Amino acid sequence: MSEIQTLIVDDSSVMRKIVERALRQAGLDSMHVYEAGNGAEGLEILRSSTVDLILSDINMPAMDGLEFLRQIKDQKLAQGVPVVMITTESSEEHVKQAIAAGARGYIRKPFTPEQVKERVLPLVKVA
Amino acid sequence: MPLSLRESLSEIADPRNLDLTVEEICQMMLGIHCRRGERPLEEEAERVTAVVGFGGLLSGACVFRSGGGAACALASHMTGMELTEVDDTVKDGIGEICNMLAGSWKGKVPELAAHCGLSVPAVITGRDYNLHVQAPEFRLEHVYEFEGNTFEVTILCDGLQ
Repeated sequence: MSEIQTLIVDDSSVMRKIVERALRQAGLDSMHVYEAGNGAEGLEILRSSTVDLILSDINMPAMDGLEFLRQIKDQKLAQGVPVVMITTESSEEHVKQAIAAGARGYIRKPFTPEQVKERVLPLVKVA
Repeated sequence: MPLSLRESLSEIADPRNLDLTVEEICQMMLGIHCRRGERPLEEEAERVTAVVGFGGLLSGACVFRSGGGAACALASHMTGMELTEVDDTVKDGIGEICNMLAGSWKGKVPELAAHCGLSVPAVITGRDYNLHVQAPEFRLEHVYEFEGNTFEVTILCDGLQ
C-alpha cells in the first residue's frame, strides 16, 4: 500500500496524536499526517494538499466539524475522499447530520484501535 | 406536547452510569484499571480542574478534579509520553478526558444524548480555589483510584426540563 495522506482535524493536539496512533495500530503504517485544529485550518490544508482520508472531530471552536463537511462539499475540495467523524457526540441526530453533510463513517470517543480498524480501513482500500 | 426529561430523572441520576462511564474511558483510552475510591481526593497544592458544560433539556456540567500528580499520570497513560509537570499537553489531555466523560455519561440515556449538547472543555489550574454551584437539581460526586492516585468526577445538574 502506498503512503496514505491523512488529515486529522481536532482542537485537541493530544487527541490528534491518539487518533494517529490508533490508525497506525490499525495497520496504516505507511501514512503521512496533516494536522488541523479546526475546520478552517482543515480547509486551508485541503486547498494546498491532496489527501486520501480525513478524520474530524465535530465540536471545535472557529469552525466545527459539520460546517467543515459542508464547506468541503460547497468548495468542491477533496472530492471522493472519505471523511470519518470521531466525536463524543453520538446521538442518532448527530450521526444523521454528519452523514447528511457527507461523512462516510462515525466513531464515538472513547474508541479502541479495533473500532478504528473496522470503520476506517475499508474506506481507505476503496478510496 | 413539549419533550421532557423529568420522567427519566431516576435513570439520568443513576450513580452506576457515572461509574461505568469512568471505567470505560480509563480502560479504552488510558489502558488503566480504576475503581471507585473510598478516601477523599488527596490534598495537593496544585489542582487541575476541567469543566464541560451541558446545555439543552439538561443544563449543568461535568467536572473533573485531581491533583497535579494524578493529572500527569493520566495524561502520560493517554499520550504514551512521560509527563511530570502540568504543562499544556497535560491540560489538553485532561480537557479531553473530561469531554469524553461528559459525552459518554449523557450517552448512557438516549433521550439525554439526543437533547443535550456539550461545551468545549475549560481547564483551570492553580492553588487555593473553590468551585461553588448553588442548589443543583442533583449532584453525583465520586472519587476514583488508580495506581495510588485519586481523581474526582462530579456531574452537576442545575436544570432539567
